[in-house]
Amino acid sequence: MTDVIKLSVFRYDPEKDDKPFMQSYEVAVTKPGMKLLDALNYIKWHIDGTLTYRRSCGEGVCGSDGLNINGVNGLACITPIEGLKQPIHVRPLPSMHVIRDLVVDMNHFFDQYRQIQPWMQTTTPTPEHERLQSPEGRKMLDGQYECVLCGCCTTACPSWWWNGDRFLGPAALLQANRWIVDSRDELTGKRLDQIEDAFRLYRCHQIMNCMEACPKDLNPTAAIDSIKRKLLARKS
Amino acid sequence: MRSRLPTSQGPLSPRVSIYRWQPAMIASFAHRVSGLVLVLFVPLYLWLLHGMTGSPEDFNQVYAWMHSFLGKLSLWLVGVALVYHFSNGLRFLSLDAGWCESREMMRLSARIVLGIAVLAAIILAVLL
Repeated sequence: MTDVIKLSVFRYDPEKDDKPFMQSYEVAVTKPGMKLLDALNYIKWHIDGTLTYRRSCGEGVCGSDGLNINGVNGLACITPIEGLKQPIHVRPLPSMHVIRDLVVDMNHFFDQYRQIQPWMQTTTPTPEHERLQSPEGRKMLDGQYECVLCGCCTTACPSWWWNGDRFLGPAALLQANRWIVDSRDELTGKRLDQIEDAFRLYRCHQIMNCMEACPKDLNPTAAIDSIKRKLLARKS
Repeated sequence: MRSRLPTSQGPLSPRVSIYRWQPAMIASFAHRVSGLVLVLFVPLYLWLLHGMTGSPEDFNQVYAWMHSFLGKLSLWLVGVALVYHFSNGLRFLSLDAGWCESREMMRLSARIVLGIAVLAAIILAVLL
């Protein structure tokens, strides 16, 4: 690995720039095992304080620093510099309205998450203690509950790029599946009704960019296929 | 409380022009393209069939066209599209059925069907 890291970063300041442009930076290697977020922090703290991006936990849990890194979405904080082709092209998540530099408007993304009603819904009376779940029932949530809503999958999906106003996108559908497969949730039928739609669900064409982009190694494509099978089983 | 940040006013961040093409993405797009090629071939095929059965002279004319470079190219294109659409169609059906749904298998199967198409393209090029 070289002593200097070359980056090309997407810049846009609505108050100064007519249109976005790419700006080159050279960052010193400060420690072994550096992550992309460390390089962005270096730019912000030592080279150019105007560079704007979101970050919080720095360990792939909060999902704030979802970015397009050399053409593929991922979280900057858990993406090692080593192995990335240089100059590293850093852009905001694709097909999003840019607020400034690498910060995009996530309102529509979170609104689609709200649409799938991401909380437990029941019809039976609340038991005296908690609603129990068998170890087998709990196991069904593996690969579903780990989603941190970073938006890497949804903004990697060409179907969502073109039909994002109506197609819920991989993240919201993975979350929908998380509640559909939850043995304690009692409104599965209503959930399926709500997403059974040519656009909301069936715009998925198995492009699988979501699966490739997910920084938590989840598989939204498989989750969407699972929902489709549930809908089919309900009909037959 | 909803954010007071300006919404939907900034420019759209780049998407198609910058996203890296990975095997699964290529496999899906190639499926749409090969499907389109197959559908468009149907009228051409019927037109050729119609032309061929008009008279012996018509037959000779179509025969000559089929063995020209353009005729061979169209057959090659349709052949590759057919092999690819069939292979990837099986792949999509198996995914619909819930087989081979792991991340690794999705990646591997995309490479396999693309490999089959390349192989078919070479074999057809030699045969034609």
